[in-house]
Amino acid sequence: MAKLTIDGKEIEVPDGTSLFDACREARGEPLPHFCYHPDLSIAGVCRLCQVEVEGMPKLTIACNTGVRDGMVVSTRNERVTQAAQQILEMHLINHPVDCPICDQAGECGLQNQYMKYGLYDSEVEIADKVNKAKAQVIGPHVILDKERCVLCSRCVRFCDEVTGTSEMGIFNRGNRAEIGTAPGVELDNNYSLNTVDICPVGALTSRDFRFQKRVWMLKAANSICPGCATGCNVRLDHEAGRLYRIKPRYNPDVNGRWMCDRGRMLYKAVHDENRLLDPARGGQTLRWAELDTDLLAGDGGLFVTSAHQSLEEMFLLKKLAAGGTVCGGLAGSDTGDSDELLLNADHTPNRQGLGLLDLPEMNGAALAEAISGTTGPVVVHGGNPAGEDVVAAALRGHGRTVYIGSHDNETAQACNLVLPGAVWAEKAGIFANRDGRLQAFSQSVARAGSSREDWRILAELAGGEVPGSLRAVREELAEALDLTEVNLNKLPARGLAPVGATSGGED
Amino acid sequence: MSFEGLPAKATGKKMTFLESIYLVEIVRGLGVTISHLVKNIFATEAMPTMQYPEEKRVYSDRFRGRHHLMQREDGTPRCVACQMCSTYCPADCITIEGAEHPDPSIEKYPASFEIDLLRCVFCGLCEEACPCDAIRLDTGIYEIAADDRAKFVVDKEFLLHNKSDGTR
Repeated sequence: MAKLTIDGKEIEVPDGTSLFDACREARGEPLPHFCYHPDLSIAGVCRLCQVEVEGMPKLTIACNTGVRDGMVVSTRNERVTQAAQQILEMHLINHPVDCPICDQAGECGLQNQYMKYGLYDSEVEIADKVNKAKAQVIGPHVILDKERCVLCSRCVRFCDEVTGTSEMGIFNRGNRAEIGTAPGVELDNNYSLNTVDICPVGALTSRDFRFQKRVWMLKAANSICPGCATGCNVRLDHEAGRLYRIKPRYNPDVNGRWMCDRGRMLYKAVHDENRLLDPARGGQTLRWAELDTDLLAGDGGLFVTSAHQSLEEMFLLKKLAAGGTVCGGLAGSDTGDSDELLLNADHTPNRQGLGLLDLPEMNGAALAEAISGTTGPVVVHGGNPAGEDVVAAALRGHGRTVYIGSHDNETAQACNLVLPGAVWAEKAGIFANRDGRLQAFSQSVARAGSSREDWRILAELAGGEVPGSLRAVREELAEALDLTEVNLNKLPARGLAPVGATSGGED
Repeated sequence: MSFEGLPAKATGKKMTFLESIYLVEIVRGLGVTISHLVKNIFATEAMPTMQYPEEKRVYSDRFRGRHHLMQREDGTPRCVACQMCSTYCPADCITIEGAEHPDPSIEKYPASFEIDLLRCVFCGLCEEACPCDAIRLDTGIYEIAADDRAKFVVDKEFLLHNKSDGTR
């Protein structure tokens, strides 16, 4: 442990800590910075985090200095603040200050730090600024504005160190230095939008989000990405009932600070034209009040859930099944690309949940046989088992089929009664990720059309035999899962790790 | 609250006999009315009433009337859809949708720009907020009437050709 004094405050930090982190702890806020990023190597190029260390003749950058026992550091004296102001002024010499048309405005490092540490009057004439290429498309998801760049090299380091694809680089020297992709190369990897997140200015912006909304109008809601079994922690940015983008949320035990581009695009499915909006029977649209559950009469039956549903919904379907057969959906459905970073080959968010609740998956032939073999009702909840022709044929052959789902698909087409459920952003629930970690998500936007939360639909179909609130459902679920000491209504922020798993990373 | 220097109780002047019968005062009041009537018949220019709408009051150049979107030289809106005005607007009456401009040097332009004139309070904060001097309330138009609420929501084309002489 090293003991040091920062701004007259004594703190003790482990040896090997960087002075930047020690200063953040002592000050309660980070030093001004552009290039420092906790998950990337130290570049030391922005020179903004300079502090005064007693015994050193010049100011030194905190990010590239290790702590030493007995260090005496000042971060707020006049020499330091003046240095930060002047460095910031230098960064802004060639900056176009086109904030009105810049998507980063509102969450921009330059704007924030100018208001905090700058506040000088610029002495640079607009005509004297060095002009560089603007609005260059450099990949399927990212657009580059070279004028806005402050050459912090975060994106370059991200592509070198995290994805290992090395598409980006800094070219030329002096005030002609610019960021760019290597000749003939596109910034085309599944993590390219993370460069947009870590870009402290508006140099790299998202093509998908471009000009969609000013960021200060967006409201954020915490959620879990439903794109694959990894279960990245995400933030849904929404306004007036519409999702605009998905950003990663820090969870060292799951996704760190990153998420994949594929997951970020999943918000589009929420506002898809393909959404089921009203209950329908045999193609005829119904109102919920007109709903007749005669199809469900009788004992037995087959109840098919899917790995896309939350734990609560699986649990309720199992309850609804009572004497019937329960199935976890189509085995091996929704699998696809994977990589070593975050994307899992299992493109469902809750396949581990099927295991927890002991819901066996079936292959197409077995499922088709089970459907044809049952005399009771067939209830399919989520997923698209009828993507396989045998299952579709079996469903069509059976007269009493119910589909609860959010999107129109082959299964919705093949079933008699179709009930519109909510997508993940429109309801609350719990997913178990690939490690069995239980992570809760909550509702962020209003439900489309007259769709309902799935657990309410299931509760209604079950007819009073199930609890009337999600809270109570979770209490019963905890009992069923033998998690008596856990409150499923209040899962830890990082999720509930399965017994025996270790937690990694700092907060 | 105390009123220093004032008597604690109001004491009215005692009326004289002539005052108390009111008749004299009524005649005096009618005299004032009749003198104005005579003046207005024989000296109409001095009358403060205006013959609106044939005649209109002249307002200051700073009067904030109906909004107007400034044009570039080529007639396209000067607005870059930064939405400062809609952010700043206390009445929340401006709705803007940005889009990619075909000219890369402009980059962003308003695909739609709508103002709900019924919500607008004509405070002028939108023109204060505008970094491009693209919106002004300088038309001087204050006669804003329509027979349908929807007609008060004016669009980009309307605002661009919203001349100060009142024509479109």
